[in-house]
Amino acid sequence: MSNILEVKNIHSFINQFHILQDVDFVVPKGSITALLGRNGAGKTTTLKSILGLASVREGKVIFEGREVQGMPPFEIAALGIGFVPEHRAIFRDLSVEENLKIAERNKGDLDRKRTFIFDLFPDLKKFLNLRGTELSGGQQQMLAIARALVADNSLLLIDEPSEGLAPVIIEHMIDAIRQLSEQSTVVLVEQNFLVASKLAKYFVIIEEGKSVASGLMKDLEADKAMIHRYLGAA
Amino acid sequence: MKTNLRKNSKAIIILVIIAAFLFVAARGMSGRDVLITVLRGFSTGSVTFLVAAGFSLIFGLLDVLNLAQGTLYMIGAYVGWTVYVRPDTFIDVLTPVLLILAGFSLSALWGRLASRIQLAPKARKIISWLLILAGFGLLALVLTSYPIAIWNLNNYSESPITYSYMADQGLRIIPAEVTFEKISPFLAILGLLVSSAISAFGIALLNRDESKSQAINWRRYLAPAILLLIGVLAAVFNAQITGWMFAMSTNWLFVIAILIAILSGVGLGSLMETTLIRPLYNRPIYQLMLTLGLGTIGVQIVQAVWGRPEFVWPKPEFFTGTGGACPATNLADLLEYNCSTVFLLGGRVRVYDEIFIPIVGIIVLIVVWILLKRSRIGMIIRAGVQDRQMVEALGINVRRVFTLVFALGVGLATFGGALAAPSTGLTPVMGERLLLSALIALAIGGLTSFPGAALGSLLVGLIQQFMIKYGQIGIPLPFTDAVFKPSPPLVPASTVLLMVIVLLILPGGLLGSKE
Repeated sequence: MSNILEVKNIHSFINQFHILQDVDFVVPKGSITALLGRNGAGKTTTLKSILGLASVREGKVIFEGREVQGMPPFEIAALGIGFVPEHRAIFRDLSVEENLKIAERNKGDLDRKRTFIFDLFPDLKKFLNLRGTELSGGQQQMLAIARALVADNSLLLIDEPSEGLAPVIIEHMIDAIRQLSEQSTVVLVEQNFLVASKLAKYFVIIEEGKSVASGLMKDLEADKAMIHRYLGAA
Repeated sequence: MKTNLRKNSKAIIILVIIAAFLFVAARGMSGRDVLITVLRGFSTGSVTFLVAAGFSLIFGLLDVLNLAQGTLYMIGAYVGWTVYVRPDTFIDVLTPVLLILAGFSLSALWGRLASRIQLAPKARKIISWLLILAGFGLLALVLTSYPIAIWNLNNYSESPITYSYMADQGLRIIPAEVTFEKISPFLAILGLLVSSAISAFGIALLNRDESKSQAINWRRYLAPAILLLIGVLAAVFNAQITGWMFAMSTNWLFVIAILIAILSGVGLGSLMETTLIRPLYNRPIYQLMLTLGLGTIGVQIVQAVWGRPEFVWPKPEFFTGTGGACPATNLADLLEYNCSTVFLLGGRVRVYDEIFIPIVGIIVLIVVWILLKRSRIGMIIRAGVQDRQMVEALGINVRRVFTLVFALGVGLATFGGALAAPSTGLTPVMGERLLLSALIALAIGGLTSFPGAALGSLLVGLIQQFMIKYGQIGIPLPFTDAVFKPSPPLVPASTVLLMVIVLLILPGGLLGSKE
């Protein structure tokens, strides 16, 4: 199977609001796919729909050949999807280590992944006993990504990893995401086109709740008109 | 540490002010009075804490304000009393309750079976409702002819008051046994099991799409099998177990009563969450109305079964000794003669009310604290209080943790009731005042903070007891000869006043973080 995830013409609601109105794309296995589009276009809702956190009323979400729409979020996630949400959602009352530990799906997950995670983010090792919220923005982002790596996830959904971070740290984050994409497929939501274009092989553009274009990132980079039309000045 | 200090500076200042206030308040009293008032404050605080902690756990994770918590506290007291004073009634009731639970706990298996049955939606609805009605009808039929030895509210010599009084005097009336007359025991057991299984199947058929991907393994048979086994054993050896419990030392009976009270809370809590609260998530107003209504219904049911008048729960032997070297002045005497009171700083202190209850409160605080801080469930609860969606996105079934937390929270409340009743006595309205105290304690301490619940309860307990004490000895007013004696209604009012002051300065409460 070449596509790990297929999103087929989904219509999604958050409360009574009809946010996604026909989003359709596929995610090839072993690559990074970037979801692009303006603020409020529905990129985050697309990620939430895949996980079942937004209710999919029409269309299908197929993960590793299995229809998952309508299943409760915890069952979908347990199939092997890691989620790194938009504002990181680090658990305040938990230490850094507990923030990682809670993501274990089987006993001992964290111990097996420990070296991999600390190779990616050596900083975290120093902060294991701090509370989640005592970290800086960049460290919180690292922790949020690390948390998604603890369990064996074949797909990672990463929402705005560069948001609010200093350029040096963004560079570090890009390296880390590139490294971890060797193990898992990544779907990335990114406002910063530069970051997205450095990382992703494929792109999907979402505009007003509809997927309007998709293809290879290098074709998009060459097509300045399309970038301008859908993403504004970039 | 430093940032912690700065962040909590306001809370620390308020605590210092309260401590100073209590210090000043205590200056008008003798050391003996201060000690006893503080101990009573800890005692009231411990009981308040048990109810408040349950409330706060439930609200923190589930966002449900369980206003029935006070009633559940009261039910805990009545259940515990029944086990302690009338073990025969308890054993008689145990069998049907366990058998019905066994029947209903089969519903997980029924769900599997129900999903195989292909029916038109309308036919399925009609058939499932018919099954439910038939099941409950049969259940009612069997239950009404099931023999249960119980007190008689209409005859004073057989009322709960008399049984309590006699037990308090150390004279246990062994009530007459009731036997199977209208129905054979075998038929009764079978009937209970079949009728509850039929209704459970009806319910499973009604919402069959909910249970789709559940694997069946032998563990699912375990719970019904254990319930069935205990239920049948209790029925077969009814007379023996009853006799054994009547002959038992009251200390052990007391321990059993407390455990059963906790278990009944855990059971009621899971039942409430799975059947009534679960359909109402995301509808806070309905939840409020539901829990408020359940609280009122609970009070009415208790009044109907146990009667309106107040009665006592006699304390166990361990706390009632008066002979020998009592009141004890040292630990050895206390343990040898099981004294009901001890001398501390020249004052007499009641062992159960003023020493035992605070100790239990502190133990529960530590146990729940460890559960929250050290166990995986505790970690999930702490994380879920902040962000439920993210916990689910990690692949954790939060709903199951919800049921557990609700059961735990209600269990704490019933525990509190059973613990407090030997000291306060039992009335059907005992929960109302306590719910108010617990809510004020939570507002003071911070609604979703567990240490806040403990601190708030302690403050509420202390202030109440100091007001009561001053109601007795009076406060000399400065520059006059007049003495001000706070009247009893000022006791709850003083806690409300403290709450208002705290909330004006710290809207989130002393240790609260979430608004």
